[in-house]
Amino acid sequence: MTDKPTNESFEEFKNSFSYGSRSDMNFKFLKNLSDEDASGFFRELLWKLGDAIDGGNFERVAEHIFQTQALAYVGPGRFTYDTGPFTPVTKPFSELRLALFTSSGHFVEGDDPKPFGVENLTQQEAEARINDFLKEEPQLSVIPLDTPEDKLRVRHGGYDVRGARADPNVNFPITRLKELQREGHLSQLHSLAYSFVGACAQLRLLNHTAPAWARLLKEQQIEAVLLVPV
Amino acid sequence: MGHLARVLEEAGLATVVIGTNAFRDRLAAMRLPRTVITRHPMGRPLGAPNDRETQRKVILAALELLESARQSGVIVDLPGSYHPLSHQDV
Repeated sequence: MTDKPTNESFEEFKNSFSYGSRSDMNFKFLKNLSDEDASGFFRELLWKLGDAIDGGNFERVAEHIFQTQALAYVGPGRFTYDTGPFTPVTKPFSELRLALFTSSGHFVEGDDPKPFGVENLTQQEAEARINDFLKEEPQLSVIPLDTPEDKLRVRHGGYDVRGARADPNVNFPITRLKELQREGHLSQLHSLAYSFVGACAQLRLLNHTAPAWARLLKEQQIEAVLLVPV
Repeated sequence: MGHLARVLEEAGLATVVIGTNAFRDRLAAMRLPRTVITRHPMGRPLGAPNDRETQRKVILAALELLESARQSGVIVDLPGSYHPLSHQDV
């Protein structure tokens, strides 16, 4: 038997998917929904699953989940700005010295960034320590572009990494970029890519980490950066 | 990631962000220099595992935006939905 409350409310049930007893990164958005929207989500999900049992079309099931996910995150977040910086690009993208930089939490096997000094922290442990991650300055993993895909590792306490484990290119597209380079679309692709865990201390990132990373990229004569958040 | 885009851009590096529809409002509120939005789920902004064609199209759209944007705050919403590939397709 588990120690789950026997008279759990719907709200408690809904919230348990967000770092609770039923923690599930694909469905943690349920916490952001009203009880009415959440119950509507489940009813429609089961109905579409019933359709998929007969028709085999799970794309509609997936579409329903993504649409509800978007509903759950609608509206501005913690940070809003009225104006934005802009650096003009004055040559074709194929000639830019371009680097890949993602917040997906990738690193190379044997080069674990060891959050909190722990080596081989598991995905489950990372999810359990999400609040610790949110207080820490992010660590940068430098990943040579010629790293074989099977030597890449991914760990991030804020999203479901199963897609990235099946194929890193869903959010860390080194193979796709190398293909574009071979085909002549990118003549100056940087030989190093960069990744960190985006769930981190945001103000430290803004005021300290990001300026240091900007200096690092400038030292490498990088001109443009492809950024992939998760 | 929004803050990193702003800081890099201020430092003279041109940036483009590939984000998912779920975070469209949040990314737009941060007035990022260039943003491409896909209709893909959180954690898989470029498309489904092994959907090479979609992943490639998304990257090329982002690269084209790098070149074409003339001011900050440009957002391109890409069409297309998420296509998980069956084992037979891979």
